[in-house]
Amino acid sequence: MSGSLNGNSASSGGGATGAGGDDFFDQMLSSLPSPWADLANPKSPWDLTTGANAPRSGEDCGGYDESALLASRLRQHQISGSGSPAGAKPMMLHQMLMSAAGRAPGGGAGAGAGGAGDPSGFFPLPLSLGRDDVEGAFKSPNGTGAEGLFNGYGGGLPGAAQANNQPPFHHAQQGAPMPAQNFGGAAPNAGAQAPAPAASGGGAAAPPRQRVRARRGQATDPHSIAERLRRERIAERMKALQELVPNANKTDKASMLDEIIDYVKFLQLQVKVLSMSRLGGAAAVAPLVANMSSEGQGGSNGAGGSDSSLTVTEQQVAKLMEEDMGSAMQYLQGKGLCLMPISLASAISSATCHPRASASHLGGGPAAAATHHLIPPGPQAQPNSNNHVNPDGPSSPNLSGLTAQSAMANGNADSHKDASSA
Amino acid sequence: MQALHFLQALARIARAAPKPAHSARTRQIRHAAYASMAHSSRSSRRTWSRALLHRLRQRQQQRPGRLLTVRRRVRIVTPITSRPEEPARAETLRQLVPGGRGMEYCNLLEETADYVQCLRAQVQLMQTLLDAFSS
Repeated sequence: MSGSLNGNSASSGGGATGAGGDDFFDQMLSSLPSPWADLANPKSPWDLTTGANAPRSGEDCGGYDESALLASRLRQHQISGSGSPAGAKPMMLHQMLMSAAGRAPGGGAGAGAGGAGDPSGFFPLPLSLGRDDVEGAFKSPNGTGAEGLFNGYGGGLPGAAQANNQPPFHHAQQGAPMPAQNFGGAAPNAGAQAPAPAASGGGAAAPPRQRVRARRGQATDPHSIAERLRRERIAERMKALQELVPNANKTDKASMLDEIIDYVKFLQLQVKVLSMSRLGGAAAVAPLVANMSSEGQGGSNGAGGSDSSLTVTEQQVAKLMEEDMGSAMQYLQGKGLCLMPISLASAISSATCHPRASASHLGGGPAAAATHHLIPPGPQAQPNSNNHVNPDGPSSPNLSGLTAQSAMANGNADSHKDASSA
Repeated sequence: MQALHFLQALARIARAAPKPAHSARTRQIRHAAYASMAHSSRSSRRTWSRALLHRLRQRQQQRPGRLLTVRRRVRIVTPITSRPEEPARAETLRQLVPGGRGMEYCNLLEETADYVQCLRAQVQLMQTLLDAFSS
């Protein structure tokens, strides 16, 4: 018995537990309660399978096949990467025994398991009933108590059954795929995932303490499912980031991260540089605080008041402009207003998708009035100097024939684009 | 929304502080840029915007030259931030994105995407303003 187990561990790649565990195992097995003894009866099919798969299973002690199998599975999981102490195995066996006796152990397997599956729900069926269930549940050729054992374990291991169904478990495989499927295991492509999730199965290997029947490398226990979901979410987010960040043709995740980091640093640096270079502009322009705020939010409220004030202001500005641009600018700045080319205004409003319908209407009225006042002979043209954002004005004002406006166009360093083109 | 806030902040700066201190003005503008980013409607619900605002207020309070040390909430985030599954650069990203220290990697990526979007919008806005007013 111990020899076979040792062989198993050796074949799986380096017995983590060593021979000591086998001795303990023998002691446990020697004290198996009656249900286990019942299971020990159907030796013949097991002998067949055992004989067929001697190198792996190594369960030459008929009745103790299942326990030995479980122990070997356990060791495999241990080896596969959990590195949990051998103490977990006796704990698991202890659990088996306890469950066989009808008690549901609580969280004992959680020691190394990390709570992969609810230990209390692990062994819902008494092992003695296993056989009956097996006949009904599985059409497996090995309709034996071992199947029942599988069933019992599987019922408590939702989907975990497939987690470690490695080829080494030959005779188990005949029964394991059935219980695995029966448990609605969420493990889709078991075989394909065998190599990669071997590490993941090892990573989540603390739980495999109970997932004895699960195929190794299969992430079907809730823990691994959650991890897989998480990985998918991360991949999703990375893809979204890839679209945002330029130069995102790198398929490597690490280099993608590097690219993202560089891009964020670059943007922050750009903000810094722009804030430095904006000093000149900021000094010259007193942004349209009052008007924008009043128009944007309270435009409808202060409609009457702002209209009159705007009109007055505009008239003042126009008068100042006729004399000297500088004074006009200062006047505006004192009022907290600014001059802005229509293109910029429209650019800003479109960039921010700010609803300016009401504002523009407000602006349109007084501005038109001011225009009329300023430039009687000229065509109805929106002046370049707007005290407020006026996006729906004509984009190309006809200024050439307007003396006042030409003066403004010449001297107006700010609003030039549309005017100069005319 | 973002532009509006930024322009208002710029107005405040231009009006309130005519002092020619270059560095101070730069800092104020940068502060205004980040504040407007954080206040934009798209990002007001994000973790990074709250963290950014918090950080800005901290800095503002520090400005008057108080000798009091700024009380920082020391959160023990080591177990969270040093997950083995994260790539090595995740820590750098956490430092870059405001509020990135307390987040899981998954959320960090999402916040980074939003932060990048807002940063880009802000840079575009500032660029537009700069082009418009200084040519």
